[in-house]
Amino acid sequence: MARVKKSTSIAIVAVVALAVLVAGLAKMSGLGSSNKNTITYLTHSEIWTHADPNRNYTGQHIAWFGSYMHRTLTAYARAEGAAGSAVVADLATDTGRSSNGNKTWEFTLRDGATFEDGSAITCADVKYGVSRTFATDVITDGPTYAIGMLDIPSAADGSSVYKGPYATAKNDVAAYDKAVTCSEDNKTITFNLKRAVGDFNYTTTYLSFSPVPKAADDGDAYDMHPVSSGPYKIEKYKAKDEMVLVRNENWDQASDPIRKAHPDRIVVRFGMAEEVRDQLVLNDSDKNSMSLDAILPTNLPTIFDDAGSTKPEFAGRALNVYDPYVNYQAVNVKKLSCLDVRKAIFYAKDFAALIKLSGGAAFGGDQADGVIKPLMGLDYAKVTGLDEYKPSGNPEAAKKYMDAAKKSCPDVYARVTDPKRGITFDTTISDTAKKAAGIWIDAMKKNAGIVAKFNFLEPGAYYSVVLDATKQGDLSAGGWAPDWANASTVIPELFTEGGGFPLSQNWGDAAYKAFKQKSDAALVEPDRIKQGKMWAELNQYAIDQMWVIPGVFSKTQEVWGSGLGGVYFWESQGAPSFGDIFIK
Amino acid sequence: MTLLSVKNLSVEFPTTDGLVQAVNDVSFDINAGETLAIVGESGSGKTVTNLAIMGLIPKKTAHVSGKVLFESATGQVDLLAIDKEKLRRYRGRDIAMIFQDSMSSLHPFFTIGDQIIEAHQIHNKVDLKVSRNRAIELLELVGIQGAASRINSFPHQFSGGMRQRAMIAMALVNNPSLLIADEPTTALDVTVQAQIIKILQDLQKELKMSLILITHDMGVVAGAANRVNVMYAGRIVESAGVNDLYANPLMPYTQGLLASVPRMDRPHTARLETIPGQPPSLISLPMGCSFSPRCSQKSSISGNKCETSMPQLTNRTSEHSARCFIGESQ
Amino acid sequence: MRENFSLASTFLVPESFNREWRRNRLFLYISRRLSISLLMLLIVSFAVYVIFAFLPFDPAALTCGKNCNDPGIIEANRHRLGYDLPFFTQYFLFLKGIFFGRTFGEGAALISCPAPSLGYSFQQHACVTNLIGEALPVTLSLAVGALFMWLALGVGLGILAARFRGGLTDRLSTVFVLVGTSLPTFLTGLLLLVFVVIKWKFIPFPEGNYVPFLENPFQWIQILFLPWLTLAFAYAALYTRFVRSSVIETSNEDYIRTARAKGLTESVILGKHTLRAALAPIVTMAGLDFAGLLGGAILTESVFNLPGLGRLAIKAVTDIDLPIIVATTLLAAFIVITMNLIVDILYAFIDPRVRVA
Repeated sequence: MARVKKSTSIAIVAVVALAVLVAGLAKMSGLGSSNKNTITYLTHSEIWTHADPNRNYTGQHIAWFGSYMHRTLTAYARAEGAAGSAVVADLATDTGRSSNGNKTWEFTLRDGATFEDGSAITCADVKYGVSRTFATDVITDGPTYAIGMLDIPSAADGSSVYKGPYATAKNDVAAYDKAVTCSEDNKTITFNLKRAVGDFNYTTTYLSFSPVPKAADDGDAYDMHPVSSGPYKIEKYKAKDEMVLVRNENWDQASDPIRKAHPDRIVVRFGMAEEVRDQLVLNDSDKNSMSLDAILPTNLPTIFDDAGSTKPEFAGRALNVYDPYVNYQAVNVKKLSCLDVRKAIFYAKDFAALIKLSGGAAFGGDQADGVIKPLMGLDYAKVTGLDEYKPSGNPEAAKKYMDAAKKSCPDVYARVTDPKRGITFDTTISDTAKKAAGIWIDAMKKNAGIVAKFNFLEPGAYYSVVLDATKQGDLSAGGWAPDWANASTVIPELFTEGGGFPLSQNWGDAAYKAFKQKSDAALVEPDRIKQGKMWAELNQYAIDQMWVIPGVFSKTQEVWGSGLGGVYFWESQGAPSFGDIFIK
Repeated sequence: MTLLSVKNLSVEFPTTDGLVQAVNDVSFDINAGETLAIVGESGSGKTVTNLAIMGLIPKKTAHVSGKVLFESATGQVDLLAIDKEKLRRYRGRDIAMIFQDSMSSLHPFFTIGDQIIEAHQIHNKVDLKVSRNRAIELLELVGIQGAASRINSFPHQFSGGMRQRAMIAMALVNNPSLLIADEPTTALDVTVQAQIIKILQDLQKELKMSLILITHDMGVVAGAANRVNVMYAGRIVESAGVNDLYANPLMPYTQGLLASVPRMDRPHTARLETIPGQPPSLISLPMGCSFSPRCSQKSSISGNKCETSMPQLTNRTSEHSARCFIGESQ
Repeated sequence: MRENFSLASTFLVPESFNREWRRNRLFLYISRRLSISLLMLLIVSFAVYVIFAFLPFDPAALTCGKNCNDPGIIEANRHRLGYDLPFFTQYFLFLKGIFFGRTFGEGAALISCPAPSLGYSFQQHACVTNLIGEALPVTLSLAVGALFMWLALGVGLGILAARFRGGLTDRLSTVFVLVGTSLPTFLTGLLLLVFVVIKWKFIPFPEGNYVPFLENPFQWIQILFLPWLTLAFAYAALYTRFVRSSVIETSNEDYIRTARAKGLTESVILGKHTLRAALAPIVTMAGLDFAGLLGGAILTESVFNLPGLGRLAIKAVTDIDLPIIVATTLLAAFIVITMNLIVDILYAFIDPRVRVA
């Protein structure tokens, strides 16, 4: 009868569905169970920002891709501490030979270096790779040193006359061919620079100088399948899913003195929810895994104690170190032209409260004394004259300078203490920024009588405002890390007109002329140790003038699974040296 | 022959306010082929009595006691004593029930035909075709035109009268020996009422069926019943043949009921008679006769007897009993 | 013989309705509703377009990436994507694109998105329709599986709670309802993952990520199982509560009493008569809840890394990728409008009193 059949069929369907579900679940294998010699990286990002070597800019990307896939002319030594800031040869046979007053640089490629398909890497490949930097409409987000340094004239609108390898019209290819030349045997590449660059071999540590095979280049899409010159090649790369690297059989260890190639396989898992990512590593779910992102602040106390040292249960699995960044508040010296007021601001600042927002000094970092971090080694010298500093602010010192300001610059004094005007502070908008603003406003008022007003900006709009002298406020939040291990990428960038990030607008200052001369001299100083001392002096001067309010020597934390060894913080890149990580 | 014999039936509903004595020691018989009318106001216990007979009051809700002896084809059975599964077999087959509100008593999602066929199929292991024909047969029997096509209509597509006929058809599908009709005409127009009553009477004669007719309409009773039980506050207060009751009502309540029926042979300006007061709450019944607070004749009984002691249901003639001190032989 | 309570009672589809009559009226009804739906979609698309046209963002500037401030590129993109055209022209081109496809730019930089084109996302370098085409099956898998789970769980538990009212099952179901309706899905999902999977290791953490069903059905189940559970937990709680009260209420209806008076068994009364009436509103509820889920279960997809519509939409909002935001909004509206229509028609099939005219 119809009724009986119907109920039976429903029951059958239900049982079958249940059986399929159970069967599907029964075959579930756990994390890391399928391949023993695999290192797994976990990240919240849905995709690598860029896998294309010409578009890689962050230290982490360079450390990761530079370890596994992309060789370049020179590289930083893979070592802990200061030793890791030294430049060594990578694809080149040496660290480059300069001539013509550091305006011509020559590198010879070593033998045996091949792409993943076995074809040899030649000078033409390196030249082609560098040329892609010039196609700024397609190859975006990468470092543009090649454009700024190579001896190629600029057009009327300021852009280079060479537009890269894709443009067919209005493209002065000849100019590029002149600036970068290859030898007859296609093994030596020569760069002709428009000005003397003493540390050009530091610039070539960027992956912008990696070889790219022209035949495989499809412009924007190359980002998803770059060709490897290193020990691993891409087997799978899917956004929101994973990237799988497998061994590049055509990579010859003999031709590569600096890479090790420990694991058989490398997996990057994208799109992990942040808490899940942290918990997986903390609980050692896959012993051979590591997080690529910052640890959630709420999870830091699990790993480290209050002083910032690693807890015993995480011994050998975590580190808490200084990263290359210095945070500070840049002062628009034109607007806030009174040195006494600037000093008062520094002594009124409540560092202790501010650093608590980052989890405390143990994790957030220490009060900075300038824009050069101690780990820069040669370029760092402790800044003097800041003895009155107190972590929660020094109201007496602040008041002293404010009183002095009443006499020395009464207009500025009147303005900054006027509730209707006060000082303006530019910063990007975020929950932390809002909390920090509250702390600043209180501290300034309480300790120095200064009225602080905050101007919150969308991250996308931030730089266009603060870099515009007419729009910038009195103070603006800034952060900077040296592009390579030389303060030549710090002092001139921050404090000279035409630098990359001159928020201080300080070239109207009386002593600027002398400062600029010293800076220019340091740029071309061949003796590295002498040069270091010169940078330290300039740092001292900048702080004497309070062109920035020193902020934080920030720190970073890493955690990884118990099965991994060889993890250390590679200071020159501000990330672990991924290529040295092995499975114990 | 006595088809149904109800003995000392009581139904109590435990509530938060107290025990509601909905039916209090009710006993009556009904014979084969007879029409018994149960009359009373709302709350008199007439519906509950019949629900209890069918076993439609869940054990969780109320406590039912007494005996309900039914003469089935297989012999006499106490419907209150047998287990639920056995009782279920009688429902819809030997005893059927129809309800007052036909719109809410028929499932809105199924066609009339489906519902009648279902009623047939439960108790008969036959082909659907057979049940279907039976359904059409019954619909024609209750006077629905075009039964073969109307069988596919939904309840909301029928008029009130047609719906009630359909429900009757559904109740009769298995030829029950007893049909309980709970206020079948109350929700209908007067002309339709008459039609329905006629159908019930015709069917009863044709199928030799007993009929319990629950109603508060004395006019319907006069035309349809053989015997009448009058209920008040959960008890039977008078029981008689219909002619006897109308000619000689013994209990003041019955008299009041009969007097309140509008009469064609009285001048239309005469005021309608009413029984003053309200039916009592079944939780806090007055001591003594339940009707005494409203009785206009209690003064004819000496002392406070009406208020202090409960009169028993006593036979005044062989067919006529009443629960009242008036006219009781001492 | 004790009466047996069994959930496997029949749901008897009405074997008879006046077929001819209903079919004609149904056809008319559907046609009318479809035309109204199309009109509604048009209005929604216009409203969405207006809103996005007046947002304080420059769509061309947003095509260039976060660190890009080269005005040349921005202007080039503005022209390529047609953002320099008047508003109505843009809207009309957008509509036209849905039916005939659309091309952007010219020459070497030509981008072609075939019909139905919903625009081009510069930030993700893909036609929006393709992005949605990849994301939709994921969300569909998630929604359908969750739907079955929560219906089975919610309706089943609700019926049990109603049937054994006041008993242990009922009390336990009340706890379940309270917890399920209080916990937000992202919390449930996180709790499941962090405790049940990672810390206590009752279920292993899946090794891979989402794959389409046809590619590897077992992995598909493994990846989706926990998300299904997370969603089902929240929705089942709501449905348990509703089904329980609906069944209890329906059980007190007169027609149930009639069914009992006819001599039907308790299981048939429950399974056929009571449930049919009590669960009819579920069709509407489930349909609309399902439509909402199809728009993108953002929180669940984020916690479990499912590349569905929710993730797509959220990333588009964070990146301010306007073409995708417009498209996902429109899609969500389309799904809701369509589901409404489907649900109304379904309900008319179930409840004959609902006139389909």
